[in-house]
Amino acid sequence: MTRDDGERWFEEDPGPLVRPFAVTRGRAGAHLQDLDIITLVVAVRPAADAATLDREYGEILRMCQRRPLSVAEIAANLDLLVAAVKVLISDLIDSGHLIFRSPPPPADGRPDLKLLQAVLDGVRKL
Amino acid sequence: MAFANSDGPATGELAGLRAVKLLIAGGFGVGKTTMVGAVSEIAPLRTEERLSDIGASVDDLTGVEGKTTTTVALDFGRITINPQVVLYLFGTPGQDRFWFMWKELSVGALGAVVLADTRRLEDCFGSVDFFESRGIPFVVGVNCFDGADVYDEDEVRAALDIGDHVPVRLCDVRDRDSAKLVLVSLLEHAMRVALTTGGHAGA
Ligand SMILES: Nc1nc2c(ncn2[C@@H]2O[C@H](COP(=O)(O)OP(=O)(O)OP(=O)(O)O)[C@@H](O)[C@H]2O)c(=O)[nH]1
Ligand SMILES: [Mg+2]
Repeated sequence: MTRDDGERWFEEDPGPLVRPFAVTRGRAGAHLQDLDIITLVVAVRPAADAATLDREYGEILRMCQRRPLSVAEIAANLDLLVAAVKVLISDLIDSGHLIFRSPPPPADGRPDLKLLQAVLDGVRKL
Repeated sequence: MAFANSDGPATGELAGLRAVKLLIAGGFGVGKTTMVGAVSEIAPLRTEERLSDIGASVDDLTGVEGKTTTTVALDFGRITINPQVVLYLFGTPGQDRFWFMWKELSVGALGAVVLADTRRLEDCFGSVDFFESRGIPFVVGVNCFDGADVYDEDEVRAALDIGDHVPVRLCDVRDRDSAKLVLVSLLEHAMRVALTTGGHAGA
C-alpha cells in the first residue's frame, strides 16, 4: 500500500451524513459503549483489506494503518458526526480489523500523579 | 482499560499508549480555537457532536435519519507528550445550552482552561461554576484583546468570585509561549490539587 492510497480519503466526497446510519442500521456493536471521543484505535489488518469493505469502513482502515488515531480525529477526517463514527469503528472492532484502547475510568476520581507529571513535563518542553 | 482482539501486529504499540484530555472553555469568540491552534502539533480539527446522540444508547442511534437535531462544533488539537502519552485539547462554547456536551467531555479530563475576555467577563461565569461544582481543576486565562481595559489578576479573581488557589493568568492565546504558560499553570495547579486530595501513583 502506498502513501497515496492512504491519503486518498481526504479528497473523496464523504457522502451524506445519514449514510453511516443506513450502513450500520440494526447492528449493535459490542464495544460501542466502550468508545470515548479519545479512544485510540489502530488497524490490525492490512490496508489492502479496505478494498473488501464499504467505503467509510475502508477509509477508516486505511487511515489507522500507520499509527493509532482517536475517534475524534477519525470523525474530523471523515467529516462525520462522532456518534456515527463510533458505530463504524465498533463494527470494525467486531470484525477484527481494528483494536482499541479507551481511557480507563477515573480511579475513584483520584488523579494519576505520574500521568499528570508526565503531561506537565511534556507541555513545559513545547 | 478495554481491549478487543488482543493479538495482532499493533497490539503492543497500543497497549502502552494513553490518551488524556484538557478542555478549553469560554464564551463565543474568546479565543478557544486560537488557543488550541497555538499549542497543537496539528492544525485544529473540527468535529461535530449531535445533541440527541449524547449518552444515547444503540437503540436511540437507529432510525434517526428523519429527526431534526442540533449539532455542536468541537475544535480540538493534539500534543504528543511522549511515546506513551498523547494529549488532546478540546475547545467548545461555554454557553449553558452546551453543558450536555461538557458533561461527557469532562469525564476523566485532567483539567480545564476557562478563557475570559474582560469586556464580557460574565460570559465565563457558567464555565467557572461548571468546573468548580464538578471538582475539575481549572485556571482562568484572561485573553488580552487589543483595546480592552487591562485588569490585574486579582481584580479578575475578585470579579469572578473564585478562590485564591485558582490561578488567573493574563495571556495572548495567539502566542504559542503565552498559551503554553497557561497550560503549564493549569497542570501545576492540577498537581497541587491531586496532592492535597490524595492522588494515586498510577500504573
Ligand atoms: N487581539 C486579539 N485577538 C485575538 C486573541 N485571541 C483570539 N483573537 C481573535 O479573536 C477571534 C476569535 O478567536 P477564536 O479562537 O475563533 O475564538 P473562539 O472562542 O474559538 O470562538 P467560537 O468558537 O466562535 O466561540 C479570532 O479572529 C482571533 O484571531 C487575542 O489574544 N488578542
Ligand atoms: Mg472556536
